[in-house]
Amino acid sequence: MIELQGITKIYKMGSQTLEALRGVSLKIGKGEFISIMGPSGSGKSTLMNIVGCLDTPTGGRYFLDGKNVAGLTFDQLAAVRNRKIGFVFQNFNLLPYSTAWENIELPMLFDGKNHRKRKERVTELLQAVGLYDWREHRPSELSGGQQQRIALARSLANDPPILLADEPTGNLDSKSGQEIMDILMRLWKEGRTIVMVTHNDEIAAKSQRVIRLFDGQVVPERTA
Amino acid sequence: MNATLPRFFWNEYRKRRKKTALITFALFWGTLSILLLMSFGSGITTQFKVAFSGLGETLIMVYGGQTSLPFEGLAKGRRIQLYPEDIDYLKERIPEIGRIVPESYTYLQVSANGKEINRNIHGTTDEFSLLRTQIPQMGGRFLDADDVAQGRKVAFIGWQVAKDLFGGAEVVGREIVINRIPFTVIGVLKEKTQNSMYNGPDAEQIYLPINAYRQIDNSRRLNQIHIQPREASQSKLIESRVRTLLGRKYRFSPDDTYAVSFWNTIENAQESEAIFKGIETFLGLVGALTLLIGAVGVTNLMYAVAKERTKEIGIKLAIGARRRVIVQQFLLETLFIFAKGTFWGFVTAFNIVHLIRLIPVSYDSIGIQSYLLRPEFSLQIFLTNMVIVGILVFLSGIFPALRAAKSDPIESLRYE
Repeated sequence: MIELQGITKIYKMGSQTLEALRGVSLKIGKGEFISIMGPSGSGKSTLMNIVGCLDTPTGGRYFLDGKNVAGLTFDQLAAVRNRKIGFVFQNFNLLPYSTAWENIELPMLFDGKNHRKRKERVTELLQAVGLYDWREHRPSELSGGQQQRIALARSLANDPPILLADEPTGNLDSKSGQEIMDILMRLWKEGRTIVMVTHNDEIAAKSQRVIRLFDGQVVPERTA
Repeated sequence: MNATLPRFFWNEYRKRRKKTALITFALFWGTLSILLLMSFGSGITTQFKVAFSGLGETLIMVYGGQTSLPFEGLAKGRRIQLYPEDIDYLKERIPEIGRIVPESYTYLQVSANGKEINRNIHGTTDEFSLLRTQIPQMGGRFLDADDVAQGRKVAFIGWQVAKDLFGGAEVVGREIVINRIPFTVIGVLKEKTQNSMYNGPDAEQIYLPINAYRQIDNSRRLNQIHIQPREASQSKLIESRVRTLLGRKYRFSPDDTYAVSFWNTIENAQESEAIFKGIETFLGLVGALTLLIGAVGVTNLMYAVAKERTKEIGIKLAIGARRRVIVQQFLLETLFIFAKGTFWGFVTAFNIVHLIRLIPVSYDSIGIQSYLLRPEFSLQIFLTNMVIVGILVFLSGIFPALRAAKSDPIESLRYE
């Protein structure tokens, strides 16, 4: 499903260069539930951004579904993000002026889905995360847990095979965090590939496999 | 772009339109200023034309004079005078002449209603009204062909004469006495703006059929001849032919510009039109420059909006928006703001123009008011404005939009 071969990422800041990733190779199979762990500055976020097609690597090859995405244009990557990858962020990243309903609908709008399809899917997703009654509320009127559930629902709008979660429970109390983890587990069991960045060992323990990063390199694996 | 996106953009615009109120106002103000400037410019031009037509449109006036060159053994300094025969003489020989009318006048005492005043009394023919914009008030008429042919003792008088002699009372049918001869008033001149004149405003004049006029002034001399060309473009040609023909008849050199003189309103009108077009263009330019300043403000504000929405753009890019979706959204939002601002600018300008036009203009004096109180609104002005504003808005919207779309999704997501 996801295969990285010798991925490097170098940031240039004036005369200084920063090697965020120094040759990361890894494979994530379809339907796997992977945790990525590592201290701050180890390259977790950079790796997630590259896996999520938000960023392009400086070197190396990235095969998504057997296709090398390292050489795609911005708009081609946008289409990949739109259809194949769902994002869940630590700080939710919902549009503040839009209602829960509109936030979930957005990826489908960008995909050009018609009104009927959108309506069906948004209803379905809102019911799945238990927030159908909150559909007309704006993010500021929702609790953190509710916002993250809406963000989860949005990430699933176009039914992507891969879900990327960057510390999805990081900003939540334990109860809300637990709810999010329950949903993620359910999605995994339904066959979705899930890649999650976390600091929390307890949460990482729920995944099948943990990839540890240190100084931009993968620390030799140990299966959970 | 699919049809649902614009609706989404519209919704997003509605949600934050309060934040764009300042931009909307800038556009409103810009539109209002340019429309008003253009309306006033156009109105001034039209009013000038109206005032000029108070004397007469496409009119050439011919006056006698004094020779300045010796000719065929005759010394210079001879007086050249015009006579009634010259009318037919010129008309038969110059086919380009559309209408030709004689006019004689003299300053005499006029009495009526127990009052005595001194006014210019004119003798002319019925076609004078067509050349010199003599429109009668309701219930009256100008001299007609029979009045002229039979030398009827009738008079057409200016509205000021009517006021001076009769106050506000009904005038048509009343009698006025000129040089001890009674004349019946058949019409009063309708009020008009007039900025060009030779014997004072038409409001102060009295017109008689030329054959009746001869009974109070038997000199036979014509003070001037009015000529209306068939085509305005032939006015210079007619001038030179008239000079040549009269020179042949009264024996002066066709090069002698002092023997007969001309007042060519067509030429004047062309000159003034150029001046007023210049004023109009200038006012339009001032408006456009005002609007340009507004557009710079709009650009600035749109940049600010784009900055404020950095994070939101990052989110959209992250969940799969293409760059052109972001550009489209910005451009459409600019368009919504544009539409709103210009719409209200248009409505306000339209109403101001029409309210100002309601203010009555006094015809007793030719003041600045008759020029300023008649702004005009036209489709042309509206379209010109739309084009100018449209270009400026597009230019002010496209750059912030492009910059917004170029933003890096990761950087944008981090933006707080």
